[in-house]
Amino acid sequence: MSLVNIGLVIGWVVVAAAVVLVVVLRRRAHRGEDAAVHVAHGERLTALPGYARALRRYRMLLATVLVAATLLSAAAVILSGRLVSLTTVQPEMRNRDIVLCLDVSGSMIDYDAQIVETFSQLTEEFDGERIGLVLFNASAVTSFPLTSDYAYAREQLDALHADLVDPDTDWAFANGTLLGNGSSMIGDGLASCVMRFDDLDTERSRSIVFATDNYVAGEQIMTLPEAGEFAQSKDVLVFGLNPGDVESLDYIGEFADEMREVVEGTGGSYWALDDPNAVPSIVEQVQERQAERFTGEPILVVTDEPTFPVLAGFAALAAVMFAGWRLRR
Amino acid sequence: MTALLTRVKTTLSIRAHRRVRGMLDGEYASIFRGKSHEFDDIRPYVPGDEIRDIDWKATARAGYPLVKQFIAHRKQTVTLVVDTGRDLAAAGAGGEPKRDVAVLVAGVLGYIAVRHGDRVGLIAGDADEVRLLEPKGAESHLERLLQVVVERARLDGAPSDVHALLERVVRTVRKRMLLVVVVDDAAIDEETEQLVRRLAVQHEILWVTVGDADVMSADWATRPMVDVADDRGIPDFLRRDRRLRSAFLEAEVERATRSADRLDALAVSHVRVARSSEVVPAVLRLIEAHNHARR
Repeated sequence: MSLVNIGLVIGWVVVAAAVVLVVVLRRRAHRGEDAAVHVAHGERLTALPGYARALRRYRMLLATVLVAATLLSAAAVILSGRLVSLTTVQPEMRNRDIVLCLDVSGSMIDYDAQIVETFSQLTEEFDGERIGLVLFNASAVTSFPLTSDYAYAREQLDALHADLVDPDTDWAFANGTLLGNGSSMIGDGLASCVMRFDDLDTERSRSIVFATDNYVAGEQIMTLPEAGEFAQSKDVLVFGLNPGDVESLDYIGEFADEMREVVEGTGGSYWALDDPNAVPSIVEQVQERQAERFTGEPILVVTDEPTFPVLAGFAALAAVMFAGWRLRR
Repeated sequence: MTALLTRVKTTLSIRAHRRVRGMLDGEYASIFRGKSHEFDDIRPYVPGDEIRDIDWKATARAGYPLVKQFIAHRKQTVTLVVDTGRDLAAAGAGGEPKRDVAVLVAGVLGYIAVRHGDRVGLIAGDADEVRLLEPKGAESHLERLLQVVVERARLDGAPSDVHALLERVVRTVRKRMLLVVVVDDAAIDEETEQLVRRLAVQHEILWVTVGDADVMSADWATRPMVDVADDRGIPDFLRRDRRLRSAFLEAEVERATRSADRLDALAVSHVRVARSSEVVPAVLRLIEAHNHARR
């Protein structure tokens, strides 16, 4: 709590003190000169038992008026000084771009479904972020580009999710992902995703949620480490989710190690997972990780806090008016 | 300083009082009836004169009523006994200072006495000092007496002390005379009663009470009020209190009744004057009552 116009407050206090002083001095100087009625035998009134009672009541009302008036002026002075509360916040940057970069090879479908569902829900909370979706296998296809049209993104994600979990799907969503020389071109996929970021001049955080088992079956244009360097050069964080990094799939263990290296090389995080249900918590961690990384400078937030002085002022005014009414009656 | 006696004369000569004035002269003369029978002169009858003083033979000869005048009547002494304490400077029931009413009362009676050829003296005092001024028969002397009262009865003067004043009268005044006691509404206590009883035996006493201002009157409800006794203010809030007002009025009525009863019990003629305009009729009523009581 502090006052913005402290000078004004001091000014008012000085003025109030001056007014009180002048009034007191004037009263002292003019005591007895006013049109007072001088009476004798006042004790006939003041000695009455009811007088002491009435005098007590009178003094109480006077004290009430005095206190309430002081409170009222104090509230007014404080209000004129603009009472504010100061808080520092570390704003989470809301200018994030997230590209979901999903490997749609058969083994990844369950994980993709979870990722898509989770992000579909996350679009509810988004404000300023942009999200895009890229599916890749042998080639990468932009399902939808980076957009802040959340209704659209959600619609797309939900449609994709429905396809992913439908056992009788016609795989139409994967059209165009098999145009390369082989399948599962992981490096090409990541590089394609990195290229989906636009507006590179603006200061935005860019990250890729990269879900793959890094099992390459074909001839890639770019290897995964090369794609990682490319991402790094574009200042893109890659968060890797690898369902293949489990003991039962030990034969692709070196691919997993490679992926971990690449992902962490970009400054992102790497998760090995064997249960699709772990995806939501990982996405949450991705969000946190990003938030940690992309919080802005602490900002001093000045919030006006007039409620208490205003209410106190009103209460004091009511008290002044009530006591004044009793006194004048 | 304005001539106080001028005000007295003006008051006596305003139309409403003209008839009263003649009666005042007569009633005043009757106060001293029967004190001496040394014949001096005859003069025309004025209302209030004793019927038995009428000189029937002279009246028959003249065709209009004539009364016998006795020497003793002409050299009576009237002593104005006036409280000149601070209380007298306080407001009276009519709003003006009680001193002004007191001066008018003393002036009217003194003026009648002087015109009647009597001598008028003054014993005026407060807690500080009691002053004695010798009786003399001149208007200028009366003026001086009234000036003394006005000068002494000030807001910054000493407190009133009716008891000391009357005690002084008891101690100093030996000769039988007419005492005109002018005090305010101060309660007549036991001691004062004793003094008055002693004085009443020796002297004719006319007791004039100058009414105090009603503290709770609406006339000055909005003005600040100060008690002259201790300079303390009486807040207007309290003066408007209805319950307090009724209690106060009750107490006032009781006190006034008790004072009046005491004076009645002592057979002292008394009257209460609230404001200047009431002075002349009140003084007439007082003298009439005084004469009537003795007849």
